[in-house]
Amino acid sequence: MRDLINFIFKNIHWLFFFLLVFISSFLIINNNEFQRSKYLAFKTEIIGKGHLVSSYVNSYLGLRETNQKLIRQITEQESLIQKLQQQLAELSVTMKTPTFIDDSARFEKYEFIAARVINNNVSGVENLIMLDKGSNQGVENDMGVFSLEGIVGRVIHTSPNFSVVISLLNPKFRPSCKVVGDNSFGPLIWKERDPRYAYLEELPRHVVFHIGDTVVTSGYSTVFPEGVPVGVITSSEKQTNDNFNSVKVKLFTNFITLKEVFIVKMNNKEEVQELENTFETNVE
Amino acid sequence: MSSKWYHQILFFILLILLQVWFFSRIHLFNFATPLPYIYFIAKLPSNMNRNVVLLLSFLLGFFIDLFGYTMGINALASTIAGFSRYYSLQLFTPKDLPQKYTPSVQTLGSTFFQRYIGFILLIHEFVFFLVETFSLFDPVILLIRFLSSFVLTFILVIVFERFNFNFQKE
Repeated sequence: MRDLINFIFKNIHWLFFFLLVFISSFLIINNNEFQRSKYLAFKTEIIGKGHLVSSYVNSYLGLRETNQKLIRQITEQESLIQKLQQQLAELSVTMKTPTFIDDSARFEKYEFIAARVINNNVSGVENLIMLDKGSNQGVENDMGVFSLEGIVGRVIHTSPNFSVVISLLNPKFRPSCKVVGDNSFGPLIWKERDPRYAYLEELPRHVVFHIGDTVVTSGYSTVFPEGVPVGVITSSEKQTNDNFNSVKVKLFTNFITLKEVFIVKMNNKEEVQELENTFETNVE
Repeated sequence: MSSKWYHQILFFILLILLQVWFFSRIHLFNFATPLPYIYFIAKLPSNMNRNVVLLLSFLLGFFIDLFGYTMGINALASTIAGFSRYYSLQLFTPKDLPQKYTPSVQTLGSTFFQRYIGFILLIHEFVFFLVETFSLFDPVILLIRFLSSFVLTFILVIVFERFNFNFQKE
């Protein structure tokens, strides 16, 4: 025992050295944006590799449900296509439109990257989701993420093969959403720690909403396209302050069983942002 | 350099101010940035407690970080350089030396002193530029920056030592 103490005392400078190195590294990582981002990317990559293995195993367990869901989705889409084709045929006969205006550019506005959730959390106050696609696959920061059911979150951090998504179940993520049919919009905020519900805030006081009205994304940002399903209103509006109301929304996305998601890439994002910037500078 | 403690403190502050206001702003040919403040660590008495040397190294780097907005980088490089000082003293000094001496051209001789200081500077500059870049993305640029800065700092320190030497003779 005494030998051990002697040994430690003799080599105390090593301990002291590592302590100082630790403090310096801590300072570097906490105070320098560049080094911090490098560190986070490295950490994300390592942690992501670990989660990848476990999710690979888990994905087999949920295969049946995923399959059923996909089939259901396909049938719905199929019937919708049929319906629309029928309508189109009827319309083209009645209206006798000679040609359609070519606005194909509008439809190439968005691209989608399919990704799998490899780590998910719904019980925390600020929840994050990790996906198995990263900057090598074209994922960038501030891209929107949604599942077949509805909105999921926004990419906040990418490493070469993984990305971290700020979940809708995080008060820091406030996507702009609107009520279908009315077009009054406001931020959707997750306040209670229940992964099934969120609140649509800053709605005008004069408009009356009904329980069961659908809420979708407004498209007033470069993160989500317009009309991504979000949820349905489950409670009548409550007055939050003098000017605004808020409603409780039941989310479509089941965050607890979330597996397959899509990342939205907006092709003209730079253009929109540039325009916004010039607009802002011109106003000033 | 006198070993009186207030001289050491003045020297400490002088090197920090010189580094922050002058040397850190030099980017010779866009590459070389001298970091001669580590000279302070090299000039501490040979038998000084290693923990004290470490603490002084850390504080030196820390104060430079504080004024230079490069939080932690200098502190880390300086701490590692301060740690390497003991081994440099073991490796690059002649054997027939008294118990306590201040490393200088006078006590070690020109060749030994250059090796001694060169070893410390090499480690210091290497850690500094590695951490500043924080990746091996462009190893050639990193190497050029590291080597050119090392040469520049080395020349500066030898000039410092030369002045010091004259000062000590008078």
